[in-house]
Amino acid sequence: MAEARRRILVVEDEYIIAVDLADALAESGIEVVGPVGNVARALAVIEAEPLDGAILDINLAGDAVYPVADALRARFIPFVFATGYDRSAIASGYETVPRCEKPVDGKRVADLLFRSIADR
Amino acid sequence: MADDSPAAAPSPGSDELLRVVIESATDFAIFSMDPSGLVTGWNTGAERLLGYSETEMLGRSADAIFTPEDRVAGKAEEERRVATAEGRAIDERWQMRKNGDRFWASGLMMPLSAPGLGYVKILRDRTEQHHTEMRIRESEARFRLLATNIPQLVFRAQADGRRSWGSPQWIDFTGLSFEDSMGFGWLDAIHPEDRDATLAAWNDAAEIGEYYVEHRVRRATTGEYRWHQTRARPIQTGTDDRDVDWVGTMTDVHDLRELQGRQQILMAELQHRTRNLLAVTQAIAARTLRASASLDAFSTEFAGRLRALSRVQGLLARTDQGAIGLRELVWGEMEMHGDIEGRVTITGPTVTLTPTTAQTIGLALHELATNALKHGALAHDEGRLGIGWDVAATRPGYALVLDWCESGVALPHGRPRHAGYGSELIERALPYQLGAMTRLDFTADGVRCRITIPLRSANHG
Repeated sequence: MAEARRRILVVEDEYIIAVDLADALAESGIEVVGPVGNVARALAVIEAEPLDGAILDINLAGDAVYPVADALRARFIPFVFATGYDRSAIASGYETVPRCEKPVDGKRVADLLFRSIADR
Repeated sequence: MADDSPAAAPSPGSDELLRVVIESATDFAIFSMDPSGLVTGWNTGAERLLGYSETEMLGRSADAIFTPEDRVAGKAEEERRVATAEGRAIDERWQMRKNGDRFWASGLMMPLSAPGLGYVKILRDRTEQHHTEMRIRESEARFRLLATNIPQLVFRAQADGRRSWGSPQWIDFTGLSFEDSMGFGWLDAIHPEDRDATLAAWNDAAEIGEYYVEHRVRRATTGEYRWHQTRARPIQTGTDDRDVDWVGTMTDVHDLRELQGRQQILMAELQHRTRNLLAVTQAIAARTLRASASLDAFSTEFAGRLRALSRVQGLLARTDQGAIGLRELVWGEMEMHGDIEGRVTITGPTVTLTPTTAQTIGLALHELATNALKHGALAHDEGRLGIGWDVAATRPGYALVLDWCESGVALPHGRPRHAGYGSELIERALPYQLGAMTRLDFTADGVRCRITIPLRSANHG
């Protein structure tokens, strides 16, 4: 790829899953930002770093990820959910966000995210 | 053929015409009587309906067709009195045939035109209709009894939802009076947001043949809206096909709906946990595979880690609050590694962990134990292992301090060249996931590890 490596934020509270996903993304040529495991850290990263996209787990140690989603929307940064929750359990206003069911395949979630970026 | 023309036929007199009409009206019993009730005329219909022939009845009292109890009560005389006074007497009553059978008669008695000539009476057998009406009346009574004694709110309505009756339970529940509920007045008790759907369902009802809606109904005593399931069906109310009423019940399904809602949340949570666990398993497998030199090595390592994971799940399944005891977690892990009696000491107060904390600590302990078994305190008889913990006051709140202390081991000096998965879980996963502070030292005497995890105050004690 001639273009610069895309910078993708990974938000996932479970360390083991977060690292696995980050490894898979890095293998696809993505520059992973994070991973971070809670809402406060995620918001701080969004504030400080340029991002091309984000992959969000919905439940972060009991806290919902939606404030992070809102911060990304405010900056027009595309994102996808990687979650164990069904669509029916996703809060209203976020039903149209592309969603990958856990266990997530790193390559698939990256493709999904790139399609969102292309659609932008 | 002029002879056959109707004009040539003899024209009957009006008396003759009346006689023909009366004789041919065989479905009606028509008879005349003098002022005292003695029969003066008796048609074929009367013979058929009442069983007496004309010759039998002429000159005899027409009171014979009344039931004995009506005769004693003077009903026959009363009928004549009313007919005289009012020009006609109409009544429906049981009357009696010659053979004693009773039938339900609809009767009309009129005085003959000239006073003193007597009366004419026309009777019709309406027994069948009477029975039908009685059945309807009885079923109506049964309906009322049922409708006013079941917990559901019951109503009757026309096909468009216009209400004609509401049970006392409806009045009690909604506080709307019987009159105020009529027509579409009942809509007042329906939640404003549900009124459109409630009315729309009536539009569909005629087509489907059933009314069904779930909507919120206001309870007068508390002002709260409670979910009700309302069903109605058309029922025949009379002998005419057009006599159709819609009868409906409203059942309080509020608690049921809340229960279903809670169940859905539980199901979603269960699904979330299951998928997360699968993701963790997948990640551990990928990680183990990358670090394994052979498939055999992978199998052994991966099976051990999977068992550690499933032990935590097993402990989780046995608790109802979703809290896992640290002691049970430590014992479970150590017991897996054979006879530890005399070589391992485990001490610490009762502390419970959240499932996430337990899972990460469980995996970390598993790596420490596996390492101790291969190279450390559990690899030799002289080795000793102490696992101890306590709750310490920190700022802010409390922290769990867990110590893993191996001794009597002759370790090659310094950190192993290839720091394994255990090191990563302790030095990176625990801080990342639980905000823990960790220290891992490979001393000459064995491995020393201290894990400090911030606790919510409710988690110990």
